[in-house]
Amino acid sequence: MKRDPLAGRIPIILITGFLGSGKTTLLGKLLRHPGMDHAAVIINELGDIAIDHQLVASSSEQMTLLGNGCLCCTVRTDLQETLRELFVRRRAGEVIDFDRVFVETTGLADPVPVLHSFQSDGLLGAQYRLDGVVTVVDAVNGMGQLDTQPEAVKQAALADRIVLSKTDLARDSSALVSRLKALNPFVSIATAVQGEIDPALLTGLSPGSAKALPAELNRWLGSGDTYLGKALEGKHQAGNHDASIKTFSLRFERPFTWDSLNAALQALTALRGPDLLRVKGIVNVSGEPGPVILQAAQHVIHPPVTLESWRDADRSSRIVFITRNIAREAVESLFSAVGALTSS
Amino acid sequence: MIKALSFNMRLLAHHELEGFGGIGEGMALQQTRDGRRILWLAHEAAPKNFTGVDVSDPRAPRVIVQTDLPHAKMRSNSLDVTGDVMAVAYQTSDVGMKPAGFDLFDISRPEQPKRISHFDASGPFSRGVQQVWFVDGEFVHMSSGAPDFQPRFPEDDQIYRIVDVRNPAKPLDAGRWWLPGTREGDKEPAPARLDPRIATGYRVHNTNVFPERPDRAYLGYIDGGAVILDIADKSRPTVVGQWNHSPPFNGFTHTVLPLFDRKLLIVSDECVRDDGIDWPRLVWVVDGRNERNPVPISTFPTAPVDAFIKRGGRFGAHNLHENQPVPTSFRSETIIVGTFFNAGVRVYDTANPFQPQEIAYYVPEAPKLARSGTIQLNDVYVDEKRIVYTVDRHAGGLYVLEMTV
Repeated sequence: MKRDPLAGRIPIILITGFLGSGKTTLLGKLLRHPGMDHAAVIINELGDIAIDHQLVASSSEQMTLLGNGCLCCTVRTDLQETLRELFVRRRAGEVIDFDRVFVETTGLADPVPVLHSFQSDGLLGAQYRLDGVVTVVDAVNGMGQLDTQPEAVKQAALADRIVLSKTDLARDSSALVSRLKALNPFVSIATAVQGEIDPALLTGLSPGSAKALPAELNRWLGSGDTYLGKALEGKHQAGNHDASIKTFSLRFERPFTWDSLNAALQALTALRGPDLLRVKGIVNVSGEPGPVILQAAQHVIHPPVTLESWRDADRSSRIVFITRNIAREAVESLFSAVGALTSS
Repeated sequence: MIKALSFNMRLLAHHELEGFGGIGEGMALQQTRDGRRILWLAHEAAPKNFTGVDVSDPRAPRVIVQTDLPHAKMRSNSLDVTGDVMAVAYQTSDVGMKPAGFDLFDISRPEQPKRISHFDASGPFSRGVQQVWFVDGEFVHMSSGAPDFQPRFPEDDQIYRIVDVRNPAKPLDAGRWWLPGTREGDKEPAPARLDPRIATGYRVHNTNVFPERPDRAYLGYIDGGAVILDIADKSRPTVVGQWNHSPPFNGFTHTVLPLFDRKLLIVSDECVRDDGIDWPRLVWVVDGRNERNPVPISTFPTAPVDAFIKRGGRFGAHNLHENQPVPTSFRSETIIVGTFFNAGVRVYDTANPFQPQEIAYYVPEAPKLARSGTIQLNDVYVDEKRIVYTVDRHAGGLYVLEMTV
């Protein structure tokens, strides 16, 4: 028996949001939620989030343990250093045995720095894994932000889960939902009223075990119409900035070889790395007992993880691409060309 | 109160064993004919001999039998089970006492263990049996004194012995080996003693033999290091290879666990002193491709030394789950589980043997009545379903855990 390459690593969830999206309110509520026992939350500034002193169980310069068992800490020099220190102190019994980490990012949804630190830092790579990206979108101002801020478009496109905030204040969010779905057809959308959300909706974004079931994989890659809670409807409508972000899923019926997969990804990252915002997928690689989990962003390819077995009849590979100005057809033809070259 | 620490392990149950929660290094899991799973535990010290715990539901362990020793100047410490037969070691606190040897029990009705026979290893220089290995139903391999064995130094009294129990009613002496120079009258010189502040003697601790290599015995020879013997002829074991990290290290080699497919040996030391006096006591990864020349290539990363070394009691390596070749045992060529006294039970991934990784741990909070003020996890057994059973040396009893690695 061997180690499960996923189950033994602590999941990291990146939480980002449009400016004024209610991310801070959401984090503040999250810290107090009873479901946050054994969670660690890394935030930028403690001062931003008002914590009632009666809720604080213990506190040091950088870390605060809340009465519900949630550990809140501020970033020291950088995220990598903070994650290292958290794990080292966890082993020494100096902080709680946290089993998931939420990281507030500074308005950037980009998972590249985290993926990169897993690669460059042996300790981090061995103990943590990226669960996914949660983007908070303001139901009142979201549409306007998508119109005016390219970064907001990117944040929505990169999300594994979108939390729609302030839905109680918005008269009708169906147009915004449609637009988000058009931008990112693979995302699932949850809602938060006054920052209240069940923390369970912010975890389990990607497969958490090599025994992952097909339903879990489908949820991760998105079926295109996944909503959490209340179904929100509307017609797809693209805005001006959205046009540059391309989100598509490719399906490959023929298994890859390690060589062909590697060659295709290398070619893609070498040619268009900076525009490859995110790649995630399950890939059928010849000779592997189960699907291979693929994650990449820009030039960083996360070491692939092979699941224990295929658990349904569908053995095709599915890869989701979120790109800036790379058309589906271009990626498709690159993969087929590489496939043809490597199989000859 | 120090709180429990956990990483990728969950506590399913804790049982204080009716107030006798000091368990030695004998753990075996019996699958009974009526479908129950009984965990057998040897106590570390008198007055109790062994305890049988029904762990058919690992979340609700239930003691079904607990037996007493004949007197208080002895202990069982070690046991092993094959099928419905259990071997239980008896070690006395001084030489020349009885019973010193091992018993075989019929445990087909686990509530009523029935003694089949006693093998006597007592003698004027013997304290009896410290450890038994009994996994094939045919031979007991053990660390033991013998009626006719006189060591040069009293602490070199336990030698490797093989006992034929194919007829369990009549155990027969089948062979023995000791480190040359340790017996009175040996022509070889006595091995140089380690620093007296940490020296613990040249005698055998664990004696492992596996069906993959029935012609090999893997011995942890305390201050004598790791020893690989050829036992194709059980009556005349001969040395194949030896490896000893001491000096400069601090001796006390405890277990030599071969990973046959990977040609590696996992070698554990035992910490025997409180408060880090004999630190470091480690787990070593040894390249065993050439049996005649074992080469150490790494050690398991230790628990944070500053956090544990002065926490109370012992801190350092001890028992490993030994990949017992029985149906109820977890068997892995890469995942190694060990106990580290106050640093709890820890799990390592040796997929890269040059850089083993710690992938899980559980450190229970200090048991009530713990004399060191800490947990002192002594031994561990992992079943084929990856349920981890681990025991405290003094008071805490049994902890049942689930690994999520």
